Amino acid sequence: MNNSKWHVLLILIILLTFIISGCTSLGVNVWERDILASPHMKLEKNAIEREMDDHIYFSKEGSSGGRGFGGGGCGCN
Amino acid sequence: MQLNKQLSIKSALAIATTVLLGAQIAKATDVESTLLIYSEKDRVSAGEGAVSIKHELNETQNIKIKLTFDALTGASPNGAAPASSVQTFTRPSGNGSYDIQPGIIPLDDTFKDSRFAVSGTYTRKLSRLNNFFIGANFSGEHDYTSLGVNTGFSRDFNNRNRTISVSVSFTSDKVNPEGGVPIPYDTLALIGESTSRLGPNATKKVYDLLLGVTQTINRNTLFRANYSRSHSTGYLNDPYKFFSVVENSSSANPGEPLTYLYENRPDARNKNSIYTQCRKFLNGNVIDLSYRFFWDDWGINSHTINLFYLFDFKNNTTLEPHIRWYHQSAADFYIPVQIDGSSNQQFTTADYRLSTFSAVTLGLQYSIPMQATHTLKLSFEYYRQFGDSSPPGLIGSLLRYDMFPTLNAVMFRVGYNFSF
Repeated sequence: MNNSKWHVLLILIILLTFIISGCTSLGVNVWERDILASPHMKLEKNAIEREMDDHIYFSKEGSSGGRGFGGGGCGCN
Repeated sequence: MQLNKQLSIKSALAIATTVLLGAQIAKATDVESTLLIYSEKDRVSAGEGAVSIKHELNETQNIKIKLTFDALTGASPNGAAPASSVQTFTRPSGNGSYDIQPGIIPLDDTFKDSRFAVSGTYTRKLSRLNNFFIGANFSGEHDYTSLGVNTGFSRDFNNRNRTISVSVSFTSDKVNPEGGVPIPYDTLALIGESTSRLGPNATKKVYDLLLGVTQTINRNTLFRANYSRSHSTGYLNDPYKFFSVVENSSSANPGEPLTYLYENRPDARNKNSIYTQCRKFLNGNVIDLSYRFFWDDWGINSHTINLFYLFDFKNNTTLEPHIRWYHQSAADFYIPVQIDGSSNQQFTTADYRLSTFSAVTLGLQYSIPMQATHTLKLSFEYYRQFGDSSPPGLIGSLLRYDMFPTLNAVMFRVGYNFSF
């Protein structure tokens, strides 16, 4: 567990560094959003399928959540 | 040079106009539907149907309703270990029994259930940069009901290149197991034997928090990171799971079962996860890579990597291969069996889902545009779960058996989406 806490800390540091330092130079202007506006670039593409997958994994594995809420809602686990 | 600059401004304006017009002519109602057939080799088979309808009430408000129905039947591991002779288990209802042949992981074949779930979400744009949603969900099975509410807020920053969101959810669940709620560490009753129970039902509450950041990296790349925390409290056992107590190494038949006791998990659990996702446009195709690190105070850590690659063909037909890799460590209180003579741990489970194992999913989705706003999606996925066939803590005859038979499952899915 100690080892994994270090993993988490490392991931958090990388994320925070990325968010705090790099972000001012990131991003696009409004007229550069042509590609990002494509339906294929939606982060939640195939939402209904991904929710179904999450439900299956929730019933078969010891972990849940991450993309969205990982709470209860089913007697399968 | 001047000409180039003018052209560049012209094309930028053209793109901006297209984007703005695109937003204006957005369809008012989007319908997503899907049907799933899920089948495990020698175990559970399930069918599931879901339909989700999102309707824009006006420019600032929308509602989304989702209905799900699933039915499943088949056999599921009951937690006991294989033995050298036929094992007989009482069914959860207390009426009747089932026999398990020697050397095989015991599966309870009475597994049969259907579930109906409905959820609704209302989303409102509070201002140009701020969004708010509130939702509720219900799910019901013959032995389980769940009722939940959720709400969240998000705000855009940096010319809408960054979105920060916070959302919370509360779920109240009630389990009414067949035969009542077993007392942890109670002995599995024989057929017809009267047994005391904790009561006819038990409850569980789940509190969730989700913090998210979405960032536009450049014209082709989006990035998202979430932190989620979930606190569960109440009855967290699986009422149908128990574990074997086996003869110790100084007995005549080491490893052979003496009795079966109901599992006992803690009555609270704190789960955490960090989820990151990157979606990138690559020469007309799209790659999506995500990673989740999960940890909880039961001792489970897990890593999940999910990779999708979308090939976008000229006629808008797409082909999307998918691979997912998962690995988890065991809960601190997981044991494959308990050796006779050793005192009970504070908590015990032999549920393989709380043991150390890995899983791989391979999938392929084919998507075909039918009309202007209609899409048919066909997908196939193969799921394989594999663990330690001879984990530490085994003695005698148990060393001969496969304690974690590989689980193989296939999924076929047909989806149809349209807007009007």
